[in-house]
Amino acid sequence: MLEGFAVGAPIALQPVALLWTLFGVVWGILVGALPGITGSIGMALLLPLTFGMDATVALIMLAGVYIGSMYGGSITAILLRVPGTPGAAATTIDGYELHRQGRSGMALGTSLVASTVGGLIGVFILVGLSVPLSKVALAFGPPEYFAIGVFGIALISSFAGKDLVKGAISGILGLVLATIGTDPFSGTPRFTLGSPTLLGGIGVVPGMIGLLAVSEIFDQMAVSVGWERIREKVSTALPRLVELWRLRLAMLLGSGIGALEGMLPGAGGAIAAFLSYNEAKRWSKHPEEFGHGSLEGIAAPEAANNTVTGTALVPLLTFGIPGSNSSAVLLAAMMLHGIQPGPQVFEGSPALVYGLFTGMFVANFMMLAVGFLALRPAIAVVNIQRALLLAGILGIVLVGAYSISNQMFEVWVVLGVGLVGFFMNRFGFNILAMVLGLVLGFMIEANLRRSLLVSLGDPWVFVTRPVCAALLFFALVTFVVPIVRQAQGKRRARAAPAN
Amino acid sequence: MRRVDLFAGLALFAFAAFYFWQSLAVTVGFASDTLGPTFFPRLLALGLAILALVVVVRAATNRSDPSAPAPLRHGLLVVLLVLIVAWAVLLPLLGYFIVTPPLLAAVMLLLGLRNLWKLLGTTLGLTLALYLLFGQALNVPLPMGPLGGR
Repeated sequence: MLEGFAVGAPIALQPVALLWTLFGVVWGILVGALPGITGSIGMALLLPLTFGMDATVALIMLAGVYIGSMYGGSITAILLRVPGTPGAAATTIDGYELHRQGRSGMALGTSLVASTVGGLIGVFILVGLSVPLSKVALAFGPPEYFAIGVFGIALISSFAGKDLVKGAISGILGLVLATIGTDPFSGTPRFTLGSPTLLGGIGVVPGMIGLLAVSEIFDQMAVSVGWERIREKVSTALPRLVELWRLRLAMLLGSGIGALEGMLPGAGGAIAAFLSYNEAKRWSKHPEEFGHGSLEGIAAPEAANNTVTGTALVPLLTFGIPGSNSSAVLLAAMMLHGIQPGPQVFEGSPALVYGLFTGMFVANFMMLAVGFLALRPAIAVVNIQRALLLAGILGIVLVGAYSISNQMFEVWVVLGVGLVGFFMNRFGFNILAMVLGLVLGFMIEANLRRSLLVSLGDPWVFVTRPVCAALLFFALVTFVVPIVRQAQGKRRARAAPAN
Repeated sequence: MRRVDLFAGLALFAFAAFYFWQSLAVTVGFASDTLGPTFFPRLLALGLAILALVVVVRAATNRSDPSAPAPLRHGLLVVLLVLIVAWAVLLPLLGYFIVTPPLLAAVMLLLGLRNLWKLLGTTLGLTLALYLLFGQALNVPLPMGPLGGR
């Protein structure tokens, strides 16, 4: 591990890399603070920027956006009672209350410190777990990778949305998108409708920008009404060290829950934040303060959602499976730079992995510094004109899509996919599952076919290998359990009026 | 939502059928692997068709979620789409600096920015900022149209 850091750290600590990290963190705080623009959208918007960059620096910058956005989300949660990112929803409860009491700076400072503590713990766990886990993952063969891909999509389809059937459809649609183009196994064109431009397929990057960013722009413009602006003066008196020390239990609770949840696909920090809010209340010496401006009520969820930024990368780096939108964007960035994610990265390019680890440590400290120095400018950004913001993002999307291959084709892909995503989102489908299907499609199909090549066509290979069989079984369970529970709930609901 | 679900389910089923039909047109070379390039897509088509039917049946028997999505400003969406498509069609012909400012200005106008000077300033500022970021810093050869002379 130390030799890894010896090659990785110098890359992450060179001035250019530090500059891009800083840019990522600041951009992350900004997009995180803007309601509707989540960290993953902010990351997807930056993908075209990474083309000319060193792969390690690109990943660090994107991880910096992820880290910054989790703190940024709490700024609007506290000042406007609108969570800037879903992960900050729990922070609105006590954060807005403190703001109303004129203790905005206390709330923002607590959120910042808790976010940093959580983020650092997350990176420690990431390093501690992913290195040994990658050794386990190296023993995986094609059947295990196929199973893990199916498991990932099953989890996202069933957990991240309300409607299981629509979730599964969304995942399949993503997989369908991934099959368009030249079949990498046999070299035959598939589903290109005779068009030579489709031979290369639907790229992960334009697909992702379309599904995540364009669909949200359409939604913001044609559906959402907008948010209020902060008019009153904001106090910027920060919490003192003694007060922060009292929050250590809440932060640790939040980090623990965030660490576990970050490794499970799908939830993106929001569930961890609510769970840890409840747990912090249960374990607190002053549970009565919760809901009336408790600092613990901010420290716990904010530590939780930032711990997620570290541990969400565990499945990505060890198995090549992204657990959330944001890590899916990171995966896309790796593929852009010709890196096949998975355990072999630890052996093949240790500089990349350990550079990313180092960069994430740095990014967390940068967030702390930027957060303290830029409290006032950050508040001003929340007050930006919505028209200007959306026009700017639309411009970045369009010109960014063009810059992917300097052709109009990608612009049309981004728009088409974005429109599909907009309507899917509107009608209760699960965009996250579709993104994951698009990203994992090749990996799932390739390993399915490779498995049968290795087994000489014997389909029992998926059942006789215990790890593979277990993963496929769990994938099935994630679908069956919610259906059973739903049926039970309906029966109870039908029985209730009779009583 | 139910009517929408019915429509969505039928559309998805039709799409699954179309996708399956397209898979028949794929030529499989003799050097291919056991499953070939069509097995996985056909599996997906089958799964999609079944799930689409579930959606249709649920909608027809009133068992889908009756909640309606937030009201959509149709007019705004259509105008927006027309503007963006016009931008994409005209960009290669007229160039970045001719097509981008009208799009940005129109979008901001639609979203309620009515102050003329502010509108002009932000439009020009954004156009220039995007050009500096992509055209200069990232060396993207943006189409310049008649202004570029390339």
